[in-house]
Amino acid sequence: MSTAGLNGELIQTLSMVVVITSVVAVEVRRLRFAAMAYSAQALLIVGLVASFAAVNPSLYWWAAVALITKAVLTPWFLFRFIGHGEDREIKPLIGFGPSVVVAALLMTGFYRFTHGHVALFAPTTLAQGGVFRTNLAVTSTVFALGLYCVLTRRDATKTVIGLCLLENGVHLSLVSLAPELPETTLFGVATEVVVTVFLLLYVIAGVRKEFGTTDTFALRELQR
Amino acid sequence: MSEQAATIASSMPAWAFLVPLAAGALAFFGRWLGARLTQFLAVAAPLGVTLLGLEMARRVVDGAVLTGWGNELRVDGLSVLLVLAIGIVGTLTALYSLRYVKQPGLPTRVGAAAAQRLPTFYGLFLWFIATMVWGCVTNNIVMLYVAVEATTLTSGLLVAFHWDKRGLEAGYKYLMLLTIGITFALFGCVLVYAAAAATNRLTGGQALLISEVRGVAHLIPPATALIAVAFLVVGFGTKAGIAPFHPWLPDAHAEAPTPISVLLSGVMIKMAVYALARTVSIFYPRWPTLAVFVVALGVFTMVLGIVMALAQDDLKRLLAYSSVSQIGYVVAGIGVGTYLGCYGGLFHLLNHALIKALLFMCVGALIYATGTRRISELAGMRDRMPITSACFVIGALAIAGLPPFNGFLSKLTVYLALAKAGMWWALAIAIAAGFLTMVVLLRAARTVFWGHAPATAAAAREVPATMWGPMVALAVACVVLGVFPRLTFPLLDRAANVLATLGR
Repeated sequence: MSTAGLNGELIQTLSMVVVITSVVAVEVRRLRFAAMAYSAQALLIVGLVASFAAVNPSLYWWAAVALITKAVLTPWFLFRFIGHGEDREIKPLIGFGPSVVVAALLMTGFYRFTHGHVALFAPTTLAQGGVFRTNLAVTSTVFALGLYCVLTRRDATKTVIGLCLLENGVHLSLVSLAPELPETTLFGVATEVVVTVFLLLYVIAGVRKEFGTTDTFALRELQR
Repeated sequence: MSEQAATIASSMPAWAFLVPLAAGALAFFGRWLGARLTQFLAVAAPLGVTLLGLEMARRVVDGAVLTGWGNELRVDGLSVLLVLAIGIVGTLTALYSLRYVKQPGLPTRVGAAAAQRLPTFYGLFLWFIATMVWGCVTNNIVMLYVAVEATTLTSGLLVAFHWDKRGLEAGYKYLMLLTIGITFALFGCVLVYAAAAATNRLTGGQALLISEVRGVAHLIPPATALIAVAFLVVGFGTKAGIAPFHPWLPDAHAEAPTPISVLLSGVMIKMAVYALARTVSIFYPRWPTLAVFVVALGVFTMVLGIVMALAQDDLKRLLAYSSVSQIGYVVAGIGVGTYLGCYGGLFHLLNHALIKALLFMCVGALIYATGTRRISELAGMRDRMPITSACFVIGALAIAGLPPFNGFLSKLTVYLALAKAGMWWALAIAIAAGFLTMVVLLRAARTVFWGHAPATAAAAREVPATMWGPMVALAVACVVLGVFPRLTFPLLDRAANVLATLGR
């Protein structure tokens, strides 16, 4: 596999928008909009994987699986769970202003670090150059933003969105690090995430019913 | 060292997880099958795993390594040890559950009748066993991640099974924390695969196979190896309950229905240790200093776990924290990297599976008979529940590492391995943690089983035979393995040789 035949400009643009959708999904306070940002990111990832498939046709399969699991099923579960009522996120640990600053710092810091030290994460010369380098930088950035979301958000729904970002980050890295992963393995990895999201939302629905809230700070029964 | 193993193609590794998988799928239709047939499936499938495990063990001890589906599945001494532990504990747990699940409270839930809930319980129970076995027989590093995460998914709803506030809180934390943790493991696995493929010694497909990656691990750049190990330790370490990634464990193990607590503490965390050992040991020959880091992690875990256990009034939480501590011994033993260390660590893994299954079953029996699991609400149960009392005391003595029980020999082996490796600091801490374990468990046993029974426990009586039978079997196993440790030597020898990379 080589970089010849890849639309570098398109991939760079899609990659940048993936990072922006991560920030929006983390920072926006309306859960419905956060789910929309996640859905947009999922579609962008499908587009990105399909772009890389120009030089590695087996990635088309990965793109198709990502389309079903990330762009169709996961958003469907999220929107069903959020419903039509009040969708304002429970106030997170960090206020909006400082949070945007932290997200921006994470975004630039992780992107620059990975881009500058790509050899740490990419053992192949192919993955260290051109669009693959960008891909890995985006991967680490999305992963970091997902982790930040999971660690600082009190709303259980938002933590699920954070978890989805975390997974997206790792899955996107497969394009550079493991482009020849067999279909069965890819299918296992992708299916796992969608089942996780379904089960988590199922349990959170129970939490919402029993506790009357999705605030994870209210989950203190086990400390009694 | 053992002689070179011969690789033999076999369908047994596949059947070992396909049998409980199929039985679980059938169990979900329990409303049509009926309760008796559903429960029969729940016992028969893990029994099938045990029988397959015994036959695979016989072949492995004879010098074979069994492979299936090309080389995607691979069973050596280490794999079969875990398969047997899962099969035996799974069978006894299924037997134990037959009456336990009929206690008031478990099968009922607002909006769902018992007839609807038991099939779900047993379907997930069997899938939980299937996914654990799958993780132990797969040779594909990414599928290992998939299997470990699958164990979380199949057990998540079981942890929250009571569907009350406490159960839901534990279930949410369990699913969320373990999924975050295991995502780190996925990145670690992908990195190992990519690095192995980049050595140009393996084809893309071969680079996924753990058995093949071992041969090229020395060619992986140090920085990449270090990052991969860090991600694997965080990922699989979270699942194994290694400190400081353990906070999910006491909540989940305490709030799950007791048969599930038995599987979580008895075998699931061991399966995660297996995943950790299987992957991180790849890097041991090239970077032996990793041993110090892993032993330190194990020692920290054993101390933190038992110190936390000291303050518990809830018996299940106490046992859960004790599991954290005991996993520390397993990790420290395997972490040494020598044959003796791996032998001790794996022997303790097996022993702890039996002992902790026994102790959790005893606490389940107390809950069944009295409705409480609080130490402060229990006393004088020795007269009312003599079998449970005797079993609990045997379990407590065994986990405290006293002779002639099995825990004594495995802990002693770990101590000797630490001493032989010159890790005197770790040995001193391990012995101190062992002393604390004795204090914690025997104090709990004395409070619960001696003294005068409170009025609330006046009506308590011994649990049915299907519950005390598995407890007695486990208690006998603790004594037999303590008196005749050579019974498990052939298998443990094979298993230890798989992991031992830093000499004898």
